Amino acid sequence: MNWVKQNPGWTMLGSMVGLVLFLWGLGSLIALAPEPIGPAAKEFADGARVTVWLTLIAGLAGIVIGVVAGLGKLSSFLPLRWLCDFYVWLIRGTPLLLQILFVWLVLPDVLPDSVKPSDFACAAIALAVNIGAYNTECVRGGILAVPHGQVEAARALGLSPLQTFMDIVLPQSMRVALPALANNLASLVKDTSLAYAISVSELTMIGSRVQASSYKPIPVFLTTAIIYLTLTTAFTTLTSALETKLDAGRKR
Amino acid sequence: MNLKPIIETRNVDKHFGAFHALKGVTATFYEGQVTAIIGPSGSGKSTYLRTLNRLEAHDAGSITVDGIELNDDLKHLDAIRREVGMVFQSFNLFSHLTILKNVALAPMRVRKMSKADAEAKALALLERVGLKDQAHKYPVQLSGGQQQRVAIARALAMDPKVLLFDEPTSALDPEMVNEVLVVMRELAHTGITMLVVTHEMGFAREVADRLIFFDHGVILEDTTPAEFFANPAHERAKTFLSQVRSN
Repeated sequence: MNWVKQNPGWTMLGSMVGLVLFLWGLGSLIALAPEPIGPAAKEFADGARVTVWLTLIAGLAGIVIGVVAGLGKLSSFLPLRWLCDFYVWLIRGTPLLLQILFVWLVLPDVLPDSVKPSDFACAAIALAVNIGAYNTECVRGGILAVPHGQVEAARALGLSPLQTFMDIVLPQSMRVALPALANNLASLVKDTSLAYAISVSELTMIGSRVQASSYKPIPVFLTTAIIYLTLTTAFTTLTSALETKLDAGRKR
Repeated sequence: MNLKPIIETRNVDKHFGAFHALKGVTATFYEGQVTAIIGPSGSGKSTYLRTLNRLEAHDAGSITVDGIELNDDLKHLDAIRREVGMVFQSFNLFSHLTILKNVALAPMRVRKMSKADAEAKALALLERVGLKDQAHKYPVQLSGGQQQRVAIARALAMDPKVLLFDEPTSALDPEMVNEVLVVMRELAHTGITMLVVTHEMGFAREVADRLIFFDHGVILEDTTPAEFFANPAHERAKTFLSQVRSN
């Protein structure tokens, strides 16, 4: 759509406002549906909120991890590079479900007794570490795509290495990395469903519960699927608008 | 003429692997002087220019800029880079920033100038290079000549004592060379110290106070443009001139 292309800022705002309104009105909307969905409206709405929170927390933390580890992989300090290589190798080479179970079972043992991580926290940590590994490669590719002349120009002007990175390299690498990062985010929305395995009451868990008590899989899974689709649509609208916004200055 | 040294290099050496790019280059540049540095491709002239603000670190010898020794000390490097501006062959404007922000960024970050002051200054500089009306465009929307004029304004925004030009017109279409040379010519008359690596013999002859001819990593001739073009002392310089002229 043309309007969306020309107003990326408003589109981003709109997608997020839309998401909030959707989550806020979801309960009352679903309550209108017939059995077995209507009576479980509150559970569906709560589940959707948990899914969104997991996505937002793991998504944001995953970006930070991706930038840090992506830089680490490009570092000239060998041990740091090995550490980041090892991290990506380990996480990409093992199933996400295993990682979630591992964090859930091992983290409480490792942490002191006074800190008791919730199931939700375990899921968020595992998801963040997982998407972070995939983000690492996207960020690394984005940084490598920034022409060296941009760095030279910034350094010649007297900008410090940190200023050069924050003002020049990071924004330029992000517009290269963003399509791939957006892809990871879309996957993440659905990957949160694996938190189901450690008894986090997210959307898939709710659907499964309602199905188990009603024996009506079709309406239940249709409802669940439509909620997921709405959520991914909101997030992909956000990321593609951000892409348009960052694209400024790239083409005539 | 006021002869206060601003850049002094002593026996500067630089290797790229097995290639010996600079072989003990010694020269002193004075405040307000406009020096044209010419020579064949691969002669070391660009490498020499890039050692002066440490975009290339020299292997041996010493470089002093405005009394500060250029070495691994980052404080020295920062101090020198604040005083030395650079204009690149491929412009290197920050592609994600508008023209105005390209010029205003360094004064804001390095000189800690307020946004309003930095942008006012940027606009004044853009006006000086004739591009005030382009301030809110992005670099890709400008022609090569316009981009290079912005790059000059960006370098000037830091009020440098020295401006280094690394083949500033070599990447330009022929019809855009002149607009950049006009700006450089005007700058040369303001008293700023300029070191210009160039293939523009006309510019070197008319604008420069001094001419340095590089070949195989050494300064072969260091003289006035008039003297160089009339009586090149070395065979290598004569050959170079005859090739440049026949083009």
